[in-house]
Amino acid sequence: MRRLYLQVYLTIVASLVLVVLTAGLIWHFTSGFRPFGQQFEVAGEIIAELVPPVAAPAQVQQQAIDRLARRFDADLALFGRGNELLAAAGRPLPAPGRIGRNGGWMPTAGGPALSIPLPDGRRLVARLPARQRPGALVVAAFLGAIALVVALGARPVVRRLTGRLERLQRGVESLGAGDLRARVKVEGRDEVARLAQSFNQAAARIESLVEAHKMLLAHASHELRTPLTRIRLGLELVDAPSERKAQLAHDVAELDQLVDEILLASRLEATDALDVRDDIDLAALAAEECARYDDCSVAGTSVAVRGDPMLLRRMIRNLVENARLHGKPPIEVAIARDDGRAMLSVLDRGPVIAADARARLFSSFYRIPGGGGPQGTGLGLALVRQIARRHGGDVAYDPARGNCFTVSLPAK
Amino acid sequence: MGERLLLIEDDSRLAEMVGEYLGKAGFQVIHAEDGSRGLALHGREAVDAVILDLMLPDADGLEICRQIHARSDTPILMLTARGDPMDRIVGLEMGADDYLPKPFEPRELLARLRAILRRRRAGPAPADVLRYGRLEIDRGSREVRLDGAPRPLTGYQFALLLALAERAGRVMSRDALMDLVKGEPIEAFDRSIDVHISRIRAAIEDDPKKPRRVITVRGAGYVFARAQD
Repeated sequence: MRRLYLQVYLTIVASLVLVVLTAGLIWHFTSGFRPFGQQFEVAGEIIAELVPPVAAPAQVQQQAIDRLARRFDADLALFGRGNELLAAAGRPLPAPGRIGRNGGWMPTAGGPALSIPLPDGRRLVARLPARQRPGALVVAAFLGAIALVVALGARPVVRRLTGRLERLQRGVESLGAGDLRARVKVEGRDEVARLAQSFNQAAARIESLVEAHKMLLAHASHELRTPLTRIRLGLELVDAPSERKAQLAHDVAELDQLVDEILLASRLEATDALDVRDDIDLAALAAEECARYDDCSVAGTSVAVRGDPMLLRRMIRNLVENARLHGKPPIEVAIARDDGRAMLSVLDRGPVIAADARARLFSSFYRIPGGGGPQGTGLGLALVRQIARRHGGDVAYDPARGNCFTVSLPAK
Repeated sequence: MGERLLLIEDDSRLAEMVGEYLGKAGFQVIHAEDGSRGLALHGREAVDAVILDLMLPDADGLEICRQIHARSDTPILMLTARGDPMDRIVGLEMGADDYLPKPFEPRELLARLRAILRRRRAGPAPADVLRYGRLEIDRGSREVRLDGAPRPLTGYQFALLLALAERAGRVMSRDALMDLVKGEPIEAFDRSIDVHISRIRAAIEDDPKKPRRVITVRGAGYVFARAQD
């Protein structure tokens, strides 16, 4: 991931580099194309006063040029009408070409030179000493230094701006990870601050909703069970045929089972993490659960998994109950280790479920069409899947082996 | 008059029914509808056991349990709601002697009450007694009891059962079991583990043909059930 502050900062630095480059290039290429015109004519007329006339001997002209060169501390060259060199001082200069014929700046090997046409047709070419006109590199270095200072100064500013966004991001992440008390500090009065404020409000709302949900679950469990207990006790105290009493007691147990499964399913949905993570011998747990039923045997090897024993027990019980209600005994539970995973399968002698019904087997309250016969709560297999997934595993129907459900969990 | 019980339960209709039911069984029940009244009654009256609801209007049942346990050795039976996230271990750590999830079978309530009262009469349990539901394995006297009644086991069988029970919830292979009891003198001629296991089952299982305590895992060995009645 590219960090935002780095992106903003690099954009600033890149803009600075671009400015420096452009300035340097413009400086470099415009040196020969300075505007020319009247200034050069005037300059030519003044210089003509200082330079001996065309007819003067070459030596006189040379002396005048030498004197001027010393005064200006420049390289000078005087060219005749035919572009022939009449006199020169300092480092040699080229005759004015197409550029500079009418006066103006012209590029030379030693730096830009000035060509000044004199009224009599001669031309004086002057090159000012290098120190008087800094080169493109010097300009670039100068601008570069400014850029460096700006770049260094911009870093903490950008860092501060995006630092708030990063803190906001960390807040959102920890909320997403389940820390409902995560809040971020509201800094400044801009959009970022408003975003932080909105985040805090949303987080507070989520926290209170989840808290309310948890309270409801905790109380619902108890509040629903107390009247159930009263009914069950009342049943014991009334005078009724024992067969009728047994039937009613069974109904109470069924209702209790339904309450239990609904509450467990809601609780599993409300939280992400497991409350308990014990080392559990899956084969031993399966053996204990199977011992509750006739016609249910356990075979296999001992495989350790990490998880909540209460939930895993419930998972196995639901699978066995499912086989008992919808399959045909005997029920065989097998535990095996396969490539780092604990595999638990529950197989019975019932017919294989039709392919089109398999997809929804693990949905809440799903019943196989035309299933008839004794029915469960409709939540058993949905809970099996919830519990398996909560433990980093999953459950699948395995028609290749018969009426068989297989849970795979990460083995320890 | 029978034993006196203190019932701390906020649902007065349920409390009334429990009182009536336990009254028929020969108990005398006094009722407190919240934690503070329960604590006050417990301080004032002589009671043989406390039945304590986990959810009370004024306090957490666990906290009341801790306070009663801190000042007396009155046995405590906690009533919870089944599927509560509260593990039974927490309740037992807080000093509860047993717990019973609502809605309970009335007979189950009676059985558990009698069990905790019996255990209390027998005096404080030595630390080296393993208790699994109605089963007690006394490492000190090398005795096994079911519902308080001793069950006959040979020394070798006791050692075998203890080896399993100390590793409850883990599948033990026959070889591992043999290793664990190899120092024990063998009285029987038959050295096979399976034979001894079936003798143990005959002694401690309600129905030795459908064992619930020492269970077979085909192809792996035996497991001693962690959760027992």
